Amino acid sequence: MPIAVYPGLALTGAKVQDIVTNATAQCDAQIALHERYRTPFVLSAMDLSVEAEAFGCTIHKSENEVPSVLGRLVTNLEQAQQLAVPKPGDKRTSVYLETVRRLRKLVDHPLVIGGCIGPFSLAARLAGMSEAMELTITEPDLMHTLVAKSASFLTLYLSAFKEAGADGAIMAEPAAGLLSPRSMGAFSSAYIREIESAVCDGHFALILHNCAAKPLHLPSMLETGLGTFHFGALMDLPAVLGQVAPEIVLCGNLDPTSVFCQLPPLEIAARTANLLAATAAYRNYVISSGCDVPPNAPLTGLDAFFNTVDNTIQNS
Amino acid sequence: MPDFKLLYDAILKGYAKTAKETTEQALADGVEPIVLVQEWMVPAMTEAGRRFECNDYFVPELLLSARAMKASLELLRPRLVASGAKSAGRVAIGTVQGDLHDIGKNLVAAMLEGGGFEVIDLGVNVTPDRFLATVKEKNAQIVAMSALLTTTMPAMKTTIDALKQGGVRDRVKVLVGGAPITQKYADEIGADGYGESAVSAVTLAKQAMAAD
Repeated sequence: MPIAVYPGLALTGAKVQDIVTNATAQCDAQIALHERYRTPFVLSAMDLSVEAEAFGCTIHKSENEVPSVLGRLVTNLEQAQQLAVPKPGDKRTSVYLETVRRLRKLVDHPLVIGGCIGPFSLAARLAGMSEAMELTITEPDLMHTLVAKSASFLTLYLSAFKEAGADGAIMAEPAAGLLSPRSMGAFSSAYIREIESAVCDGHFALILHNCAAKPLHLPSMLETGLGTFHFGALMDLPAVLGQVAPEIVLCGNLDPTSVFCQLPPLEIAARTANLLAATAAYRNYVISSGCDVPPNAPLTGLDAFFNTVDNTIQNS
Repeated sequence: MPDFKLLYDAILKGYAKTAKETTEQALADGVEPIVLVQEWMVPAMTEAGRRFECNDYFVPELLLSARAMKASLELLRPRLVASGAKSAGRVAIGTVQGDLHDIGKNLVAAMLEGGGFEVIDLGVNVTPDRFLATVKEKNAQIVAMSALLTTTMPAMKTTIDALKQGGVRDRVKVLVGGAPITQKYADEIGADGYGESAVSAVTLAKQAMAAD
């Protein structure tokens, strides 16, 4: 289940800026990949600036890069308390909701998975990433205020994805992986647990993605009450699979850059095969990328990945 | 007699106000600035780095230690300069052109400063020409570049090329790091070192200076 939408640009000829501003371009890129690889799922693109922009952050845009947040929106507790919570559909959140609506109409009925940022990662963008790290210790009330507002918005946003027809969503919370497990529990997991209670049911599931999380973060992430987790290269998946209950699904974690961008196809096939072999004993594992596969990842690499997965399934 | 352990603890625990006050007291008592730096402050940051490497400290704790160190250094810097005390080396650091991510760069800058280096932080979205100008105008001995995106990584090679064209490549060491960067990539672009973490960056920088 690699997180891959932007590599579809190689098939459609669009630019990154098209994907993040236009639902048609985003759908076209994802559908192109879906058709090439016959995936059982389709995704909206990963863009960790969308929600911050909806709150009012200034965004840096360029033609070939995913937008990023500039500066800080909130610098003190008073500003955090006065910060208005946006509505789903504000600014570019409408693009992602519309993408899900259109993907829902695909005639082969794949699983449709939306995407959003996690509450701490969003709050960190509102306060400034480096500043937010320090504020978790020096001004925890300020960070809790921002995380609470972020969680409030994300609950509404995920509900909107659900209404648009998504079967679930990937919530990306990388900034929480930079915290201690205890702080992750306080500033991230506790809020995600509340979101989960409000939004998830038998028809909509949340997948928590954290590419910065290490094995010591796993207990804090499990506190969210979620059933599916998606990890980056820092997580030793074969090791931790034996530590979780069999109903908890773990996904990951071939590195998007060092594997999908920098290795030749034969080597990617070997890495894929090795990871599948190392996790073969576990039914609660889904092979994936470690994070969003970048736009410049060669399709030959993804070809090698999917061919290896298909061959392994056929031979097993 | 000032309690130097208080300064060490203030930096280690990230208490910038206490670090500043203790430093002021030490200076008032006539303690040599270089003694404070070498015997108490650098060891405190080294210990913070060690705790980070063994997952006892995380990014927030390390940033706060760095802030406390900076608060003390700001008081000491004029006296260090006046006394002719030399830093471990002068580093121009920045996130490359087109890239706005700064947390990794901030951590490395903090650790380098804590390791006794003079750090010229150029910020984010730093053009090759700006790196080059800083080397020429400030006599930076090390250029440290960070990138977080595969689309901005190529700017590292462009910067190295600019240093060559500017005639200064032979007199600087180029260190690179960031999530998408690997040792293989660093070798391919002709960098002198690749740092996998903020703490290893200090070791790398010291090795780079020793190689001169």
